[in-house]
Amino acid sequence: MTPLSLDQPWGRGLSATHEHLFADGDALPTKNFLPRGLGRSYGDVCVNDGGALLHSFRRDRLISFDEVHGVLRCEAGASLADIAQVMVPRGWFPSVVPGTRYVTVGGAIANDVHGKNHHIAGTFGRSVQSIKLRRSDTGAREIGTTDPTFGATVAGLGLTGLIEEATLQLGVLPGPGIAQDTTVFGGAGNIDDYVSLDEASSAWPYTVGWIDTLDPGLRGVFFRGEHCDGPDEWLAPQPAKFTMPVDAPGWVLGRWSAKAFNSVYYRAQSMRTARRETVPLWQFFFPLDAVTAWNRVYGKRGFVQYQFVVPREAARESVPKILSHLRESRVASYLAVIKSFAAIASPGLMSFPMPGVTVALDVPGPNDADRRALDRADAMVADVGGRVYAAKDARMSSVMFKRFYPQWEALEAARDPAICSSFWRRVTR
Amino acid sequence: MICVVGATSAVAQAAIRDWAARGDELVLFGRNAAELERIAADARVRGAVGVAVHAGEITSIAFIEAAVATLPITQQALVAHGSLTDAARGMEDLRYLAEQFNVNFISGCAWTQCLANKMATQGSGSIAVISSVAGERGRYSNFAYGSAKAGLTAFCDGLRARMLARGVHVITVKPGSIDTPMTASMKKGLLFASAESVAKGIVRALDQQRDVVYLPRYWQLIMTIVRAIPERVAKRLKW
Repeated sequence: MTPLSLDQPWGRGLSATHEHLFADGDALPTKNFLPRGLGRSYGDVCVNDGGALLHSFRRDRLISFDEVHGVLRCEAGASLADIAQVMVPRGWFPSVVPGTRYVTVGGAIANDVHGKNHHIAGTFGRSVQSIKLRRSDTGAREIGTTDPTFGATVAGLGLTGLIEEATLQLGVLPGPGIAQDTTVFGGAGNIDDYVSLDEASSAWPYTVGWIDTLDPGLRGVFFRGEHCDGPDEWLAPQPAKFTMPVDAPGWVLGRWSAKAFNSVYYRAQSMRTARRETVPLWQFFFPLDAVTAWNRVYGKRGFVQYQFVVPREAARESVPKILSHLRESRVASYLAVIKSFAAIASPGLMSFPMPGVTVALDVPGPNDADRRALDRADAMVADVGGRVYAAKDARMSSVMFKRFYPQWEALEAARDPAICSSFWRRVTR
Repeated sequence: MICVVGATSAVAQAAIRDWAARGDELVLFGRNAAELERIAADARVRGAVGVAVHAGEITSIAFIEAAVATLPITQQALVAHGSLTDAARGMEDLRYLAEQFNVNFISGCAWTQCLANKMATQGSGSIAVISSVAGERGRYSNFAYGSAKAGLTAFCDGLRARMLARGVHVITVKPGSIDTPMTASMKKGLLFASAESVAKGIVRALDQQRDVVYLPRYWQLIMTIVRAIPERVAKRLKW
């Protein structure tokens, strides 16, 4: 499951040249490098133009597993796909999973990823008990949750050293199914419906909404799910049904196609409304993994994913404002996702989530007008005290980054002098 | 019990994971003790019922004899060690060339013979030996490696005939190019297969007691064509 190109991020759209290095023994490169896992970050946090990438291929061994308490020790190159596949039949599952399982443990820590259960479990970093971190200057050390380096390393974008191993608390899994319930919401141009649905669903472990950002009414579909039992064949993931064999042509990416797609999707989902159904957990958590190389859908120009969060108090007013700004600026977007974060503190200094509402939208091959519209959206997010997600970014300005993350200098101070990324050079200059 | 020689190779590691997942018992041999321990730990977490490791100079005849002597009943074995010889260096450095022949040919034969003899006393067993499609024709770019693998292929083919009546099965495995960390930065064509898919083919070949397997299978067709190229043409190709 290596990405299309080792030189590009998942969102493509930018090219870089790298020297490719492979972790071998204990020695770290002495020149400038960036640790890289499966390269699923959308933007340049996983790119180090002109420098080296230190790949984690085959540094993916599981080291020990405590079957009683569900505590797993593994090498940081292990993927959540592999861990889930081994652990699901034994009744365990990663405590937090993002929308794809093809991410490494090291990458999940470095970006402090979140999932549909943020309101219950918080970020991935909360399930990490300990990290073995190797630095180019001070060597390898085991760091626990109370160590100051721990907070800098979780959501530290891989900059504090090479994450070699980690100890993870897995969650108990009652069965391989998810009981899922689907409800449509919106239509009135605000997110009040969504917020009430979300508040009424706080007892559900997994909640997420899909929202049509091209519809002035902001219609959407709300999904909530909980673990349940299922047939044995659900214990293993179905192999990917389809591989995107070529890049999609440019016309697929336009605003009208996006509108048409969104309408069809909404109709299809609304027919399932209020229906409870049981689906394999793989399908519920990782819908996009059913298509290998789905990023080719957006063609050679690639795409950026724009994910912002605004504080809870400001959300009802600012989310519709930001989305209508993007709509009026004619920014095309297919799937947009809306999710509420709870007040569960992340251990990472630079973690993205804050109590509030987050929206993530794909913007195919952004042109200059799209970029200006996104810059304006950045300002609207910053004005209400929100922030934009670094793991998905390929474009925010350094001024905005420093407004979103005023604590960035603490990460710069904790950075390994040999490690840097294109992202970090761009936003800290 | 399944015995794996050269357990730190990418293909061997992938096969070990498959065997571990189905709850097999494993004995692993390799040079790098620390890596072997990690591979063993990984296999245990994945479900292997017992994993023993022995690190040592796996190309030494004394080590091979001692190692095989300690093995319990062994139903299946994989001989996977090897080294991609630098043909140009071999032309200048004969000691290097001899060492490479020892790794890729002589020690491979020694392990296979020793394991076959042990299995003959049990009356049954299967050994998969990783040779290479490179052994089917000496080529400009990798004839040093290819010639060692050609020798290994011929040895396995003959030994298979010898051991037939004694209940021991020898499988010659001929992988094409494998996508490993070393090749990851190459511009890859479609002909590169993952170590995982090659490993699955080996696990299956052992279970089905096949004779000769090309992995992936299309290499059989490719090599038929490669062998058919007349020598007066082949000698001009820098392939």
